[in-house]
Amino acid sequence: MLIVAASLILPAVLPPFRLNLLGRFLSLGIVALGVDLIWGYTGLLSLGQGIFFALGGYAIGMHLSLNSLEPGQLPEFFGLYGVKELPAFWQPFASPVFTLIALWTIPALVAGLLGYLVFRNRIKGVYFSILTQAALLVFFNFFNGQQRLINGTNGLKTDTARLFGELVGSDAMQRNLFWLTVLLVVAAWLLCRWLTRGRFGDALVAIRDDEPRMRFTGYNPTAYKTLVFTVAGALAGISGALYTVQSGIVSPQYMAVPFSIEMVIWVAVGGRGTLIGAVLGAVLINYAKSLISEQLPETWLFVQGALFLLVVTGLPDGLVGWWRQGGLQQLLAMLGRAPRASTYPGLDLDPAVQAEKSSFLSQRPGGEP
Amino acid sequence: MTALLELRGVTVSFDGFRALNDLNLSLQPGELRAVIGPNGAGKTTFLDVITGKVRPTAGEVIFRGRSLVGISEHRIARLGIGRKFQTPRVYENLSVRRNLELAVSRRSPFALLFGRLDGSAQDRVQHLLRVVGLDPQAQQLAGGLAHGQKQWLEIAMLLAQDPDLLLVDEPVAGLSDEETDRTGQLLRSLAGDHTVIVIEHDMDFIRNLDSPVTVLHEGHVLCEGSMDSVQKDPRVIEVYLGVDDDHQSQP
Repeated sequence: MLIVAASLILPAVLPPFRLNLLGRFLSLGIVALGVDLIWGYTGLLSLGQGIFFALGGYAIGMHLSLNSLEPGQLPEFFGLYGVKELPAFWQPFASPVFTLIALWTIPALVAGLLGYLVFRNRIKGVYFSILTQAALLVFFNFFNGQQRLINGTNGLKTDTARLFGELVGSDAMQRNLFWLTVLLVVAAWLLCRWLTRGRFGDALVAIRDDEPRMRFTGYNPTAYKTLVFTVAGALAGISGALYTVQSGIVSPQYMAVPFSIEMVIWVAVGGRGTLIGAVLGAVLINYAKSLISEQLPETWLFVQGALFLLVVTGLPDGLVGWWRQGGLQQLLAMLGRAPRASTYPGLDLDPAVQAEKSSFLSQRPGGEP
Repeated sequence: MTALLELRGVTVSFDGFRALNDLNLSLQPGELRAVIGPNGAGKTTFLDVITGKVRPTAGEVIFRGRSLVGISEHRIARLGIGRKFQTPRVYENLSVRRNLELAVSRRSPFALLFGRLDGSAQDRVQHLLRVVGLDPQAQQLAGGLAHGQKQWLEIAMLLAQDPDLLLVDEPVAGLSDEETDRTGQLLRSLAGDHTVIVIEHDMDFIRNLDSPVTVLHEGHVLCEGSMDSVQKDPRVIEVYLGVDDDHQSQP
């Protein structure tokens, strides 16, 4: 709710540059939601979400490269490598409808297929993490090497492209994209909340905590994991597309190993297993990164490492988890301001005592019915 | 009457070590059977084979006339075989009620996402909460329960699954005498409608169950019979040094 309120005020207050940064970081919040869904709830630590992020980015990047061309023209870079004809897989991206569907279905399909193969073979834990990172490297190297297909290392630039006749990099367009990002963050958050709140979410947590037990109860964890990994892939794709149009370029760097690890750090710092924590972590850490990098460009990596260590050792449930467990009160208590209690809180809150109390009250004449 | 469960010449070897060695056992519907044996006799592997966790190296496991070998764990569970583990395994980060709700739900992801828990299922959850006396703790996280309460919650989850065959591994480990008695009563009341296999170390508990006993030793059935006849069997005395009750039963 705070985010919604903030995003209503901020466009009026912030200069376009800062607003654009915030929009980018919010779009990273969507991929973080996906990471939280698979890692925080289901216990799948994927270090390869960059694959799906970049696929979404490339989908929109290809569309924008084609969109502003005259008929018969090819995107500029093809000329450099002597490509005369548009490769077949580029063709459908000329259609905006196809692109809008593809930018989340392609990552979702790739994630679903990869996930199914991995989960069916019961690869989990560290092996799963290593495997996702290996897959990330495969994609990274492939995209880097394919100059003739997708401009390799240089990536695709989007800010000079046109969308609805407007320059993508213009302030007005960026403001609209900011709104769209806010809208989609909220939508993604609602989706994840729906997934995690009910019995489906319970099943995910149960798989995280004791997968064999779930099997012996008749649940097939493969189906659940594949489904949730697919959803996370789709979210990463949407996130990548939004990030691309707001940063003006998509390149294989989106599949660099450190970036996917950072995604995990955002969630860890924000609070895994809390959806709002994922979004907050993504926005806060990236904002801190950009602020600190502006002042002291060399120090950011140290700060990030320190933050991660702090969370791992001191705040296992992240900032949001710490807050919800009354961390602020504890901190105040440590500084000498103890919380007030009228009676023995542990006794008063014990559900067995509560039940006794209510049955006692209901038996008493004149007591509560 | 045909057997509900039958193990024919089941052998499991791990790198040459035979955890089960030509094990034969047959169980009639509605029977309550106790399985005992010294440590390393293969009791838990025996349950692993039935539930599909371990695939036998040789032999057949037949449940209701169909082979279970090579079927995955969740499908075996859906055929109607439920298992309670040695150490209580409940989902610690879910509330007691939600633990039970997962146990009564249909198993597909889409049923959980789009379906609602119907009234009869909710009644079952409520009923089971009362049976195991966890009604007041229904909203509490299962991880916060006492050891005995976790054992009972797991038994309730097993009942919620409503399996035909219940495999119960050390149900009274770490329970107080009173809780042990109640568990024994519960298991006896289940037999008849359900078929139950109980694995226990506590000899007094087994004696009170008043059921046929199978003794496992080195992965093989040593003998079968009533508790009294089994305890007089010289082979059993040999494998269990000092068959004196006081030395056998563990607190």
